[in-house]
Amino acid sequence: MNASGWEQLAFIAVVTVIAAPLLGRYLAATFRGGKAPGDRVFLPIERLVYRSTGVDPDHSWPWRRYALAVLAFGLVSTLFLYLLLRLQGVLPLNPTHAPGMSSFLSFNTAVSFITGTNWQAYSGETQASYLAQMAGLVVAQFTAAAVGLSVALAVVRGIAGNARTIGNFWADLTRSLVRVFVPLSIIGALVMVSQGAVQNFHGFRTATTLAGGTQQIPGGPVASMEVIKLLGTNGGSFYAAGGAHPFENPTGFTNMFDLLVVIVLPFAIALMFGRLIGKRAQGRAIVAVMAILFVGHTVISMQAEVHGNHLLPASVSQVVSANNPGGNMEGKEVRFGASGSALMTVGTMGTTAGATDSTLDSYTPVGGAGAFVGILLGEVSPGGDGGGLYSILVFSLLAVFVAGLMVGRTPEFLGKKIRAPQMKLIVAYVLTIPIVTLVLGSISLVIGPGTSSILNPGFHGLSEITYAFASVTNNNGSAFGGLAANTPWYDTTLGLAMLIGRFLPIVLALAIAGSLAGARVHARTRATLDTTGLTFVAFLLGVIVIVGGLIYLPMLILGPIGERIVG
Amino acid sequence: MLLGLTVVLGFGYPLLVTGLAEIGFGHQANGSLVYRDGKLIGSSLLGQSFTDKAGNPIPKYFQPRPSASGSGYNATESSATNLGPSNPLLIGFVAGVNTVGLNGQPSATNPFTTPSDPTCVPTDPHGNPVTSPTPGQRYARTKGGAYVCDPNTVPERAIAYRRFNRLVANASVPVDAVTASGSGLDPDISVTNALDQAPRVARVRHLALHEVIDLVHQYTSGRQLGILGEPSVNVLELNVALEQLR
Repeated sequence: MNASGWEQLAFIAVVTVIAAPLLGRYLAATFRGGKAPGDRVFLPIERLVYRSTGVDPDHSWPWRRYALAVLAFGLVSTLFLYLLLRLQGVLPLNPTHAPGMSSFLSFNTAVSFITGTNWQAYSGETQASYLAQMAGLVVAQFTAAAVGLSVALAVVRGIAGNARTIGNFWADLTRSLVRVFVPLSIIGALVMVSQGAVQNFHGFRTATTLAGGTQQIPGGPVASMEVIKLLGTNGGSFYAAGGAHPFENPTGFTNMFDLLVVIVLPFAIALMFGRLIGKRAQGRAIVAVMAILFVGHTVISMQAEVHGNHLLPASVSQVVSANNPGGNMEGKEVRFGASGSALMTVGTMGTTAGATDSTLDSYTPVGGAGAFVGILLGEVSPGGDGGGLYSILVFSLLAVFVAGLMVGRTPEFLGKKIRAPQMKLIVAYVLTIPIVTLVLGSISLVIGPGTSSILNPGFHGLSEITYAFASVTNNNGSAFGGLAANTPWYDTTLGLAMLIGRFLPIVLALAIAGSLAGARVHARTRATLDTTGLTFVAFLLGVIVIVGGLIYLPMLILGPIGERIVG
Repeated sequence: MLLGLTVVLGFGYPLLVTGLAEIGFGHQANGSLVYRDGKLIGSSLLGQSFTDKAGNPIPKYFQPRPSASGSGYNATESSATNLGPSNPLLIGFVAGVNTVGLNGQPSATNPFTTPSDPTCVPTDPHGNPVTSPTPGQRYARTKGGAYVCDPNTVPERAIAYRRFNRLVANASVPVDAVTASGSGLDPDISVTNALDQAPRVARVRHLALHEVIDLVHQYTSGRQLGILGEPSVNVLELNVALEQLR
């Protein structure tokens, strides 16, 4: 890789190492209960919310009630967003005259944003009104992120706490929004605007270009969406080109700032977990696993993209130099270069953001495989807001179970024994996403409505389809964009995959937490597996890689690996 | 709950950000618009075409990268090509990788080779590229009888770039000059690309080469904080400065 790639990776690492612990400390203080930083500003707002909605924030619920509230809130939000998208053509605040979306596209888009997937089968400039974007999609981006964090908090209370209840969903949701997502979004949006991200209500403005042609210059409340798209690990952009669009991601600085906005919070949530359970080393061990996976799949892609596309003529210079960023520049912007593009795009693949600043479909086979792997490992490097934590906690339970089998002891995590009822739920959790991905992906590969949407021939076309299902089921939402996704078949099946991929794991994670809530905490003995040391880190890495790797290996061989070998 | 959230997050929040942005960074919030003689000519953040009515590049302007948005730099439909790294529409027919015979079956060599382009992807009489030929397929031909190649493959773009800038055959061409960007609106080109174009621009405008090169360096942005992003040349700003130079 080139020097600029390493320098930018080092920049990301240094800022994350400084910012994540600070934010983790803030989060722990905020969600521990009792006095918290910023009470003077935030407490009155929260009280107002509780009073007007009749919520008793101190009433803690058993897991079933918590799960039902999450599902009910998701259902109502989806219906509301569906109606808004259907009707946007006749509603106000539509200067670009976007027509109402079809029923298939509205279903797909509503589910996509409520689940935090942000798969976009529509084109933002002309197919979504300003009203739909700000009052529909942005609200969904806030709530999806807050739901993720809330569920993670509930799971932590179940796994580590000694009460039989796991918290109050409305209180968690309110607190996440008031104290984390809204204040950070306002600051982040202004940083982005200062660099050139747009924030206005102009619609298209006509310019007469220097050469005498015309150009329609778009507008919109872009920065306010861009920041929660990233901070909420959502990934859905105002414009079709997403993070490649200069009005969303104008400079080399915003490119790295965007990546930081995505990854710092999930890392901080993992550190918050360590503080909340009074065992900071546990948070650090989990962060270590997340960071190793993050660097792994990101560096592989950066390396491949900087190396370039070897099928181009030798006389086309892809060699990196001071005056030529070089590398595989198809689908990439000059201001980011090949390494910066791959760092930002593939860096977000280990989260559920899947925010891209370049076109994955045009990545080299190995570069694209890096993105694929980030998703297939189950979105734990560092994962979505909250989702990353509860996923890696489930993997941790699986890891101690495997380790327990090896030494012939009943496995335990944080002093609680893991027995058959928990293991059934854990296995169901781990298998949900691969089953949905592989079954729906395979069907799409053999029927006409599935294959007719492919753009690129050969192995690459297969990747377009399998990537789509892996991406949406994991609620990532990035795409090998050549696939023509706005068809009844894909709108419906991808929508279903998102719903199952989001809500079934949430219910299962809450069920696991519920089954451990109030369980007896056993004292540590010499034979207890230490879940903070190097052995545990290695074990957890192994479990994640084997579960992700082995299940999907045939799919990867028929996709990017085959493409690399034959090309 | 949802209605309250919609009011606060859906209206209050974006309006607050808009207000603050307008106060602090009005120019950026409104799209970094560029005016000339009081008329709106574009945005310094969005690339635009410098072509004549027939769609041919105008030699006196620095040319931006190829664009996949609409017919080129159409900001109502930002878009990339999404072409995969071995797609013949991107790399041409490369022998042993993606070549097909006249019958559409895989073949070891490219039957559509022309004297200037061994990777030629032929076009039909309407100008559409033909990537899966059928035995009865009709092709566009030049007067000499050679196949007319799809002009949008990288090898063809490299040939056109050399011709346009009067570079020697097989001269090295910077990759950004022959590939389309992710947004289709990339405002920048690489420094190498600008320096390759400078002699042409100087010649057409009857300027000294060093004047044009100085201008290129003047409109080159380095890495932010010394490490973030890549050095790039803003094409619209550079061309506006050129117009003022004359």
